[in-house]
Amino acid sequence: MNFFRLLDYYRLAKKNFFRAPQWELKLAIQILLGFLVLYFLAVFLFLGIGIYFLIKKTDPTANAILFLNQYMIYYFSADLLVRYFFQTLPVTDIKPLMTQPIQKKTIVRGVLWRSLLSVFNAFPLVILLPFCIVYSLQEGIDLSVWVWFIGILFLCIGSNFLIFLVNKSKKFTILFVGIFGICYALEKVIEFPILSFFGKGFDALYQESYWIFVPILFLVFIIRYASIYLKQQLYLDKGLGKEKGRMLGENLNVFDRWEEMGFFLKNDIRLILRNIRPRQMVLVGSLFLFYGVIFFTQEQYAEMPTILVFSGLFISGGFMLTFGQYVPAWDSEYFSFLMCQNLPYKKYLKSKLYLMMFSVVLSSILSLPYLFFGLNVMLIIWAASLFNFGFGGMITLFSGAYNTTPLKLNIKAKAFENTQNFSFTQMLFILPKLILPLVVFYVPYRFFGFNGGLTGLALTGVFGLFFQNRLLNLIVKIYRNKKHQTISAFNK
Amino acid sequence: MISVQDLSKKYAGQLVLDIPKLDIPKGQRFGLVGNNGAGKTTFFHLILDLIEASSGSVSINDIDVQKSENWKTITAAFIDESYLIGYLTTEEYYHFIGNLRGISKAEINSWVQTFEPFFNGEILGQKKYLRDFSKGNQKKVGIVGSLIGNPEVVLLDEPFANLDPTTQIRLKSLIKLEAEKNGTTFLISSHDLTHVTEVCDRIVLLEKGKMIQDIETTSKTLKELEQYFSN
Repeated sequence: MNFFRLLDYYRLAKKNFFRAPQWELKLAIQILLGFLVLYFLAVFLFLGIGIYFLIKKTDPTANAILFLNQYMIYYFSADLLVRYFFQTLPVTDIKPLMTQPIQKKTIVRGVLWRSLLSVFNAFPLVILLPFCIVYSLQEGIDLSVWVWFIGILFLCIGSNFLIFLVNKSKKFTILFVGIFGICYALEKVIEFPILSFFGKGFDALYQESYWIFVPILFLVFIIRYASIYLKQQLYLDKGLGKEKGRMLGENLNVFDRWEEMGFFLKNDIRLILRNIRPRQMVLVGSLFLFYGVIFFTQEQYAEMPTILVFSGLFISGGFMLTFGQYVPAWDSEYFSFLMCQNLPYKKYLKSKLYLMMFSVVLSSILSLPYLFFGLNVMLIIWAASLFNFGFGGMITLFSGAYNTTPLKLNIKAKAFENTQNFSFTQMLFILPKLILPLVVFYVPYRFFGFNGGLTGLALTGVFGLFFQNRLLNLIVKIYRNKKHQTISAFNK
Repeated sequence: MISVQDLSKKYAGQLVLDIPKLDIPKGQRFGLVGNNGAGKTTFFHLILDLIEASSGSVSINDIDVQKSENWKTITAAFIDESYLIGYLTTEEYYHFIGNLRGISKAEINSWVQTFEPFFNGEILGQKKYLRDFSKGNQKKVGIVGSLIGNPEVVLLDEPFANLDPTTQIRLKSLIKLEAEKNGTTFLISSHDLTHVTEVCDRIVLLEKGKMIQDIETTSKTLKELEQYFSN
């Protein structure tokens, strides 16, 4: 009988990490991310320490714990949602273990244990533990505080395991959000105290310690249920298998009228519709459409047109910046194939450029509601659009020549994993992508005023269009020089 | 059709392929055999200009592949599954290639019907992404895809691997038929000596990047090759 312990998992994970291509870079990123996480933990730690005093400040007569309890349900709901979107489960790499002499029970236990190491489980500890310590220091040591703390902690760990059951089911999430929404509406609109009811539950936990049996039962039940569920999933045609893709974007024949370019466009739209990674990216890109709301609604920015131009660039070029930065990495899975097809490099790059230009046009149309904020705002967006249309796409393409990290299309990015394709050279390209347009706006703006600035921005775009062919030839040359390097990098 | 001059490839100072001279005439079915690491795939990659040669040149139809891209109009290849676009259906993939080779959708649709016996009813009209097909079916899709538009040169790396016996037999007659009908030059690498001697009229044996034997296929070839590999 072999025992496959947590330590063995750790050893495998270590090898996986250090034997990956570009692990040095990844290590550097992990360290940076580590600092980021530490920063957040520190922030929450201070929040945890300060929360007691904050409550006392708002309502000196209130009991801090009872006060907190009112909001606990919101905390748990937010926690679940954040976990649903960002917590990835350590289940992907267990396939090779299936045929080894390891009991399924052991594998399942390993997966469950490892999931506890997730950073999401640290937050209740760094917020609530200091809070309870401060509370005890201020109000004297009281066992019921710690019973309350342990109860909450158990519930948090419970939601960690609950995610296992929920992860693969969108229905559950919709149901959850739906129920929460209805409860919230009931509470706020007709004052039916359904969410406060949960607050009462937490109060009970604090006031009468024997209620601790509820979190304990919950945790035991959920662990048991999660293990049973995971064990059932340990089959190739269940949890370990690939999901069959749903057919999307079958009828895109409208694009055929643009002949060859329409064909490429059609293909890229399919790429986006049918793969997880580009879908995520497009979602992020389209969020930039709302970027202006932050700036245009604030009085103080009205006098700072450079800031407004900045948001205009993001509104019209959000998709271009997020999606475009991974050209040609989007095609990395079949790049060799493309490179020996009857497809000259120039035509290929042109199709990508047109896709980006198309997205800028689409964003400009979708940004029409900004007219609500006045004509000046609209003019800024249009000028920025013109810049992105004529010149921005070109720069994005140019920077793509230096991005040779392959990309797995149909695998969900983990939280922060987008940084995997991060590189210093890509950082450098932020300069021409964002600083250049600001310069071509700012310099004429200083001398000729607002309209002059807009003209400068727009003219640069027109200039880009005018010299498109020539600029494209230059870019093609760079790509061609790096062709073999790119192919070998993509094949790793 | 294909001529190779002083071609070599080194990785970190180690020679992995070294072919001083090789000419493959039009319409030949050229077989490449050798153990793992013999340099078969490296050779194909060099022909397709997917890796940079350390020295020498390859020309297809007198076009130096390192200098011009025009060889792409007459060449097609299926090396492995990464030559498929995973998120397309078979038909969409064929339309994509057809578009690049100037063949209309309608033409592709009727042309591809002639391969229905080869596909054995498992490929066309499936409403299934290529990445969801089994390895063998992916291979079928890729091989037929490489024939779209009657390219003059077709490179197939291990085309028999992963195929079921029926399809292996059908593939052999398919290759012979295409070569006869259109004068297609085939370059086929394989570990399977029986298949490759049956389908190719010339066989080159590679070992550690060097050409050991270059033989016209006769009835004795299989025996000779087996003899060689059993030592």
